[in-house]
Amino acid sequence: MADTNYERQNPAFYALIALLVFMSIGPVLLLLINSLKLDVDITSGAGGLLFMPTIRNYETALCDILWYEPEHLRFCTIRFGGAFVNSLIIALISTALTLIFGCMAAYALVRFKFMGRDSLSLSTLAVRMIPPAVLLVPVFGLWNNSFCLDNDYGVGAWIRDTFGGRGDVCLAGTHSGIILVYVAMNLPFVIWILQSFIVQVPKSLEEAARVDGAGPFQVFFLVVLPLIKPGLAAASIFTFRIAWNEYLLASALADRDTMTVPILIVNNASEFDGLGTILATGMLLAIPPILFTLFASRQIITGMTAGAVKG
Amino acid sequence: MPTIRLENLVKRYGAVEVLHGIELDMAEHEFTVLVGPSGCGKSTTLRMLAGLETVSDGEIYMDDRPISGLDPKDRDIAMVFQDYALYPHMNVARNMSFSLRLQKTPQATIDKKVGEVAEMLGLSPFLGRKPGELSGGQRQRVAMGRALCRDASTFLFDEPLSNLDAKLRGQMRAELALMRQNVKKNMIYVTHDQIEAMTLADRIVVMHGGHIQQQGTPSELFKNPVNRFVAGFLGSPPMNFLEADLVEENGALHAKGDGFSIRLPNDLATRARNKAVHKATLGLRPSDLEYTPDAPVDQSLDLNVVVSEYIGAQSVLICGCGDAKVTVELKSETPIALGETLRFAVRPEGLHLFDTKTEVAL
Ligand SMILES: Nc1ncnc2c1ncn2[C@@H]1O[C@H](COP(=O)(O)OP(=O)(O)OP(=O)(O)O)[C@@H](O)[C@H]1O
Ligand SMILES: [Mg+2]
Repeated sequence: MADTNYERQNPAFYALIALLVFMSIGPVLLLLINSLKLDVDITSGAGGLLFMPTIRNYETALCDILWYEPEHLRFCTIRFGGAFVNSLIIALISTALTLIFGCMAAYALVRFKFMGRDSLSLSTLAVRMIPPAVLLVPVFGLWNNSFCLDNDYGVGAWIRDTFGGRGDVCLAGTHSGIILVYVAMNLPFVIWILQSFIVQVPKSLEEAARVDGAGPFQVFFLVVLPLIKPGLAAASIFTFRIAWNEYLLASALADRDTMTVPILIVNNASEFDGLGTILATGMLLAIPPILFTLFASRQIITGMTAGAVKG
Repeated sequence: MPTIRLENLVKRYGAVEVLHGIELDMAEHEFTVLVGPSGCGKSTTLRMLAGLETVSDGEIYMDDRPISGLDPKDRDIAMVFQDYALYPHMNVARNMSFSLRLQKTPQATIDKKVGEVAEMLGLSPFLGRKPGELSGGQRQRVAMGRALCRDASTFLFDEPLSNLDAKLRGQMRAELALMRQNVKKNMIYVTHDQIEAMTLADRIVVMHGGHIQQQGTPSELFKNPVNRFVAGFLGSPPMNFLEADLVEENGALHAKGDGFSIRLPNDLATRARNKAVHKATLGLRPSDLEYTPDAPVDQSLDLNVVVSEYIGAQSVLICGCGDAKVTVELKSETPIALGETLRFAVRPEGLHLFDTKTEVAL
């Protein structure tokens, strides 16, 4: 536990801290302030903190999902809102899936003895070493041609009806297509992180639970999972940020309706009229990872297994 | 409650065999205590009973039903682990009620049961705390409470009181003794504590190196140990062992050693003669030696008092007898001066004799 009574430090130390805080918060603050200004105020450079805050830039950025029509816009050029929602859906779902599969796979790799366990464990990490660019071409090919499911078959129709897509039931251009790639991409690393957390859960806890009458799933969900929460949090920050920022694969697989924010910004860079809108989108782009990280990092506490076993 | 029978139970870890054919029959409601030195396989035996270790050979029967293939949860066994194994993310109350909650017991029943057990173990003030916020002794009591909250047919305790102070241990021992009378359950209990073993057990099982050395009631084992190991293991302070030659003198068999020559009682002498043993180890409990200045030479030891340890009503003397050390227990008021050589009478029924070669009792 953190000791709150710090010793009095040298003033230079505080100065250093202040500098670090300024360096990390400063740009975000600048972004926030300027995104609330009109273009003229930004470019004139005058005023600094003295200005009339306006949400006009945000209205411009989110014009496609607002329920009213901002009066300063003649028509909605950028579809940032839709992309933002896409990004959220894809990042959250792929993070959730990665964690669910990851923790179960990691548990199996740590606790169960089966043939090829060690090589499997190692190869999960080896997969991680493949650069995403290498995956780009084969995944694009598979998602667009070979693996397209025909409408006539049950599965194909079901997938189309359930998840949507471009009509030819290809994974390309669907949320699930991108989510699937992200899950596959992040899973090895998550498995690898979680293994190190699961190893630390004392075996006798699981034994105690089994004697207490818990089945395998109850042991896992009631005893092991709560104890590796810090690991899950760390892994989720990692996967969420990758899914949120990923550009390369998303640009190949997304279509107009499923494109994520990074793709939108690059594709429409020329259409942004004025700095203000760009700053507003930047601000919006920064918020989810910040919130997510703040939330998740609170789960990262050490000493989860304190008091479990003797010594 | 089922009777439990271990038949030729063997445990191997790879090529290492740690239990070599344990044969044990436990009657209904019996309180069985396993004792033995560290590493002799007590925990392994319990863990096999609980289903946490596979059975390499042999079988465990509950009411003549083989159970070695069953999952731990299907064996109706509660266990207190040697290392506590508390769920660190649950508070004390939830730790204790874990099993009941799994069985979907009504909350009111759970609260009542947990309250009772916590009261008995002195844990009521700590019900809301996590294991990490408890002392070692408190944790151990939680581990105990978690088992006692359950309504299993068989309870396994792996050194459940080892971390408690003397007073608390005494209290808990009394609670256990009480529980043993009131709750008709099978209990198997591992301990290093002589007093616990002696006071609680219906049957003590002495283990050594993966073998059962002897089993029986506490007094059987105390009075008639089958070999030198059991004799030395039970009793505190431990039994004295003196090397002796068995020689015939004046028509009686004498155990003759460095500075003593004791006439053996007739039955013991007959057995020694029948087995043609010539070298033997004499076993004498510290409490079987009595300060008697006028005792006959061939029924006493002349001991040189080296150290006197005062432990209240009793004192323990450590004395020299030739090259060997002998401990004697006697009343503290007996006037003893260090450095003196005194005569201690040997109580004839307290005389144990072991074949030096095989260490088996004669
Ligand atoms: N997983 C294992 N692999 C190999 N040997 C083991 C394993 N577990 C236990 N042993 C061995 O089995 C023997 C019995 O161990 P066990 O834990 O049953 O001892 P114990 O009687 O409970 O001792 P203590 O009183 O110290 O708790 C020991 O010699 C130990 O080294
Ligand atoms: Mg043990």
